[in-house]
Amino acid sequence: MAHLTEGTLRRMVDDPDARSGADAAHLEGCPECQAQFKVVSADARSIATLLAVPEARVDVGRSFERVMQHRKSQPALVRFPILRPSARPLTLAFVAAIAAGALVVMAFTFAGLFFKPTTVKAVPVTVADMQALSELSNYGTLAWTKEPQLQATTSAADASAAAGGLSLPTVAKLPDGVSTTVTYGGMSEAVATFTFSADKAAASAAAQGKTLPKMPTGMDGATLTLTVGPAVGEVYGNLQKPGSATNDINLPQLIVVKSASPTAKSTQVSVTDLENFILAQPGISAELKAAIQAIGDPSTTLLIPVPIQYATSTQVTIQGSDGVALGDNTGVGAGVVWVKDGYVYVVVGSIKRDDAVTIANNLK
Amino acid sequence: MNLGARRMATAKSDEEAFEALFTAEYARVVGIANRVLADPHEAEDVAQDVFIDFHRLHSASAQYAPAWLHRAAAHASLNRLRGARRRQKREVAQAMEEGERAVDPQKQLEVSEDRRHVRQALGRLAPKPAAALAMRASGLSYAEVAQALGVGIGQVGTLLRRAEAALRKEVTRGTSN
Repeated sequence: MAHLTEGTLRRMVDDPDARSGADAAHLEGCPECQAQFKVVSADARSIATLLAVPEARVDVGRSFERVMQHRKSQPALVRFPILRPSARPLTLAFVAAIAAGALVVMAFTFAGLFFKPTTVKAVPVTVADMQALSELSNYGTLAWTKEPQLQATTSAADASAAAGGLSLPTVAKLPDGVSTTVTYGGMSEAVATFTFSADKAAASAAAQGKTLPKMPTGMDGATLTLTVGPAVGEVYGNLQKPGSATNDINLPQLIVVKSASPTAKSTQVSVTDLENFILAQPGISAELKAAIQAIGDPSTTLLIPVPIQYATSTQVTIQGSDGVALGDNTGVGAGVVWVKDGYVYVVVGSIKRDDAVTIANNLK
Repeated sequence: MNLGARRMATAKSDEEAFEALFTAEYARVVGIANRVLADPHEAEDVAQDVFIDFHRLHSASAQYAPAWLHRAAAHASLNRLRGARRRQKREVAQAMEEGERAVDPQKQLEVSEDRRHVRQALGRLAPKPAAALAMRASGLSYAEVAQALGVGIGQVGTLLRRAEAALRKEVTRGTSN
């Protein structure tokens, strides 16, 4: 039998389950492994001493109350960790818009506004609209039944493997000034289930001093199962600011993402019922309501919410499919979103809108 | 049971499940963060943030709940450790705290200095081995560490061994500088 590995020896130091069987028998009769075992256990002991700290004494009851209080005072879901006052305000405004947009797309998805999108439309929204939607978690429970596994990689092949073999889109030519430093990313397919709860919804409306709109029959306990991804992406730009703290990152110059179109299934209630119920929630503006109702069949349209004060949007044609272009030609920030052959594509960055459209049209 | 009562029961059981999870895991989650940060107050801050994040997106009855919490505690506290702002704040706070202590201030200073030094070294390790080390040192079993990191139980020994060697190297390097 070959000698025991350092990992096996290390485990034998302090895992009672590892001190039996063939490995233990080998150690018993092998002076070389015994010598190595001594080294490994001495190291383990000295590191344990180095890491020793006085135990933290906790008051579980009081801590639980603090957590519950905090939770109730927070509108769940919307968080902008990337927003910091010190960074460039214009670019950040755009990134915030995109981030908020992505969250609202999720919120709409959980609300069951679309099932399998085949085209995209932009919807102007106000910040108040977005905040109202972020509170959807007050109307039920959201749980991952299959958690997304995100992986940042240095090779396209690894990213593709992380996304179950989904091939990466290739940018034909980068615009001038965009760094060729690229990070790849892959996300496995993820499945989330949202379960509506009449009690949560009523409690939440009451907390705001509002009355809950009448619930459609069957809404309580209705579930929506959302499947997102797999997805792959490329991020161009040197993200780590040289010589700065690790939590201070540069904004990427260009991001290209390809994702399987999200799909959603519902139980107990129809799409239209869900749409109407969500639109009737307190706090959603008449403008948003009108915009969504004007879109038409929600089961085939991916809504791209555009905060009206941050960006402008135009309908464009990308590789023969309808798409939405966001931003302008100042180079501060622009993006394109389109759906083709069951995949959603996004090209976004601190580039000109025309450049984003060119990249999108030449993406392979 | 009528429909209304059943609804109440479901909502109640959600909250109850979260409370049960909190009661079972809070001290362990704090323990992991404290092992990384060597600061019980800050460790509690991290632990509470971790539970708030968990509760926002996950069901408390999910099977993966403890593993998720352990991993999040290790990563969140390691991230804090790496933040430059924290280090500066810590140094000021520590100096003040040590100044107030009556018992052998010189010895206290040395202990705090060592701990800070080890934490800085820990912050320089790769995330996975560092997390394995913090979890195991705070008392999680090999099986629990394996689950939290999504690796086979056989790999935990290798991760620990690698982390211990790397930490020793980092500590020595920091001292000789």
